[in-house]
Amino acid sequence: MLVTWFTDRHFFLLAVAFYGLSTVYSVFLWRRGFRKDDWANYFLIVAGVALHTVAMFKRGLTLHSCPVNNLYEATTFLLWALGLACLVYSLLPRFKFLAAFTAPVLFTIGVFALMPSLDVHPLPGAKPDFSNWLRSLHAATILQSYGAFGLAAVAAAMFLMQQHDLKFDKLRAVLSLLPSIQRLELITLRLALVGFVLFTIGLVTGQQLPRPEGKPYFSDPKVIWSALLWLVYLELIVARLFFGRSTRRFTIGVVVAFAFLLLTFWITNLYSGLHHP
Amino acid sequence: MSVVVIGLSHRTSPVELRERFAFAEGKIPDALKSLRNAGVAGEAVILSTCNRVEIYAATPLEPTKAFGELKNFLVSHHAYDAALGDELYTLAEPHSLRHLFKVACGLDSMVLGETEILGQLKTAYDMALKHGHTGARLNKAFQRAFHTAKHVRTHTNIQRGSVSVASVAVELAEKIFNSLGDREVLVIGAGDTSEKTARALLSRGAKSIIVTNRSFDRAQALAAELGGRAVSFDNWAGEFEKVDIVISSTSAPHHILDCAKLEPLMKARRQRSLLLIDIAVPRDVDPAVNALDNVYLYNVDDLQSIANDYLKLRQEEIALCEAIIAEKVKPLLAAKSSIDFADERRLHFSHLRKSAQSAD
Repeated sequence: MLVTWFTDRHFFLLAVAFYGLSTVYSVFLWRRGFRKDDWANYFLIVAGVALHTVAMFKRGLTLHSCPVNNLYEATTFLLWALGLACLVYSLLPRFKFLAAFTAPVLFTIGVFALMPSLDVHPLPGAKPDFSNWLRSLHAATILQSYGAFGLAAVAAAMFLMQQHDLKFDKLRAVLSLLPSIQRLELITLRLALVGFVLFTIGLVTGQQLPRPEGKPYFSDPKVIWSALLWLVYLELIVARLFFGRSTRRFTIGVVVAFAFLLLTFWITNLYSGLHHP
Repeated sequence: MSVVVIGLSHRTSPVELRERFAFAEGKIPDALKSLRNAGVAGEAVILSTCNRVEIYAATPLEPTKAFGELKNFLVSHHAYDAALGDELYTLAEPHSLRHLFKVACGLDSMVLGETEILGQLKTAYDMALKHGHTGARLNKAFQRAFHTAKHVRTHTNIQRGSVSVASVAVELAEKIFNSLGDREVLVIGAGDTSEKTARALLSRGAKSIIVTNRSFDRAQALAAELGGRAVSFDNWAGEFEKVDIVISSTSAPHHILDCAKLEPLMKARRQRSLLLIDIAVPRDVDPAVNALDNVYLYNVDDLQSIANDYLKLRQEEIALCEAIIAEKVKPLLAAKSSIDFADERRLHFSHLRKSAQSAD
């Protein structure tokens, strides 16, 4: 009965509450120097992602389609991909604290996504048509790439913190149970690569989609923004892989690129004629 | 029977005295046998390591009498004719049992919290058990002590961290590199600490060692000992492209490595992480290189201060360990009381039976 009375937004609200609890616990872990290895934070994120999944499932059932029709849905999809990837990567040896670094991102974006103005139902006829498989592929790959970029940024933040401690707070560095910085760098690079490949597939499929009448493609803010983002990640990866850019600069770049993505994602979406006909 | 301990350790006696009282491993069973045959102990275990010589005995004698007999045994067994003072300590219950537990947990060790003593204690107990010199009291006490040591290890930080310069260096290397398996180590200057550090890295799987020294013969000798190769002191910079860890301990009066020298080398290494362990005094590496990307520099003070901090952390855990030990010893003392009570009752009934028989 309770499940029937609860809407998908209630479930998402509960999920965000769990992300919030995890954030508070993460601050505690951070203050203790990530010395104690426990599963509490991981299970808080598991609870959050489970509720989040129910929320998305309920919304999907109501719409009879993939729930990525407005900014709220797109944001929750992005967060879900990020949360799920975090749970998988946290199972790697010494990566349990990934949850502690991901929780603040999940909580902050989750609170933002809960703003009622983001959850606007599309006007009749303006709803994206997901009967086209290419459109579904476009939406899914783009949002998953954001998730991968997000997790890369989280791993990069872990790297920067551990690197700082290894240089200036040596005891904290040896006492913490974080992975080696070399491993963190490798994970950051791999996630950035995965995100980049998914993003490229998303952009290519997006370019193939039928466009609304009278809506320009190459001058669309979202298209310009996406191309810019693609170039940023391309530069970061190429410079690191082929030109020996330092790990520190690479990881800072990954964090900054994701911060840019987060801060500008909604604005470009709102002004995009292609995404907001 | 109560458990008593007599012995001498690094806390009470110098090594010259400890080695005088040490038991050769092969002679321990005979020593235990003669101890029991003399009627001093019903059960006994002898622990003899480089840092302590102790006899754990379950004795029917009064502790004060037992201590005198045990001291005589130690002195006569080792033919020691000089006077003994505070070097020899004696402990009766409950202190004897607490002491056993503290020894098992490494709380009485020279390096606080070390685990080697637990293995040595297990060997000593196994030897006594195998030759039938233990019984209900010591079996229970030792097994509970081993269990408590395991509990303390998992529930406290008493064994956390490295407390030597060499092991701290290894720990730092493991925080930087994913694995030490494919890491090459360059040793500049063949000093004692650099040798220990190189050995510690090799024991954790470092791939190979390159040694360089002003005296090429010394470099070759150390390289041969470590299973590495020696390079001329003029050419060590040429090895930088390959190596991941550098241990430096030359007696040069100035920095042999600074930013100007290292920056082009880091470019040639395509910014791969480089761990510099500078254990020379005066320092070999300019501290400013720590600001370079992917360069991690630690000098002897850094390593020593981490080791000291670890030791402090371990010391902070002592109270917690002792509380655990106090809890774990309690049932052993309670069991002993019930055994004593049962013995008294058995004695009382046998007296009654004898009185009744004599009345008949």
